Amino acid sequence: MKAEILPPLSASVHVKPAGWRFGIRLWLPLFLLWLLMIPLFLLFLPFLFVAALIFGVNLLRTVGATLALLAGFRGTRVDVDTPDTKVSVKLH
Amino acid sequence: MNDNRRQILDMLAQGKINAAEAEGLIAALERQSGATLAPGVKAKYLRVLVDTDDPLDGPTKVNVRVPMQLLRAGVRLTGVIPTRARDQVNEALRKEGIPFDINELTPDNLEELVEELRDLSVDVDNEKAKVRVFCE
Repeated sequence: MKAEILPPLSASVHVKPAGWRFGIRLWLPLFLLWLLMIPLFLLFLPFLFVAALIFGVNLLRTVGATLALLAGFRGTRVDVDTPDTKVSVKLH
Repeated sequence: MNDNRRQILDMLAQGKINAAEAEGLIAALERQSGATLAPGVKAKYLRVLVDTDDPLDGPTKVNVRVPMQLLRAGVRLTGVIPTRARDQVNEALRKEGIPFDINELTPDNLEELVEELRDLSVDVDNEKAKVRVFCE
């Protein structure tokens, strides 16, 4: 699988409330979420196939576009700095 | 190379400023001139910087970096919208006075759009907030 179509594999979240000496640093293994999603996706695949036929949607293209959308989130970074809290989220 | 940039590099060479200060000055210069990317360099991220100073909530800074790939993928999703739904979207857009046809969003047009965004720089500056949108 090419890197451009890989969804974010991990996320790091850093929260530091005002007055705290150290913040809370979390590393979230998103790849586990995707691994869990694979059997669910396979389970729902027949229903998705029927729904795609009913609504006239190309299932293969839809899956490809959804994967590309998920992959597009790699590199996203959001930092919010308020007087009360500092929050930083990064998707790797 | 423009005069200001040369002046900064001269100051660095003469030891009047250090490398970090020079980097900061060049970055400030680029921000001022709006030239965020060198010609030929493809934009990788869309950056949104918001700096507010609310009297109630206090100063707040928001820094968002969105990959351009997400924009491409988002537009690609329009390709999977059924024809009937596209017509409805176009109709709704026309009613709102937006003469836009989403069928025209093709991969070629999209690349052109992303390429044009490379030079995008929006600066909003008022008493309460500063907003800056640019590509890097």
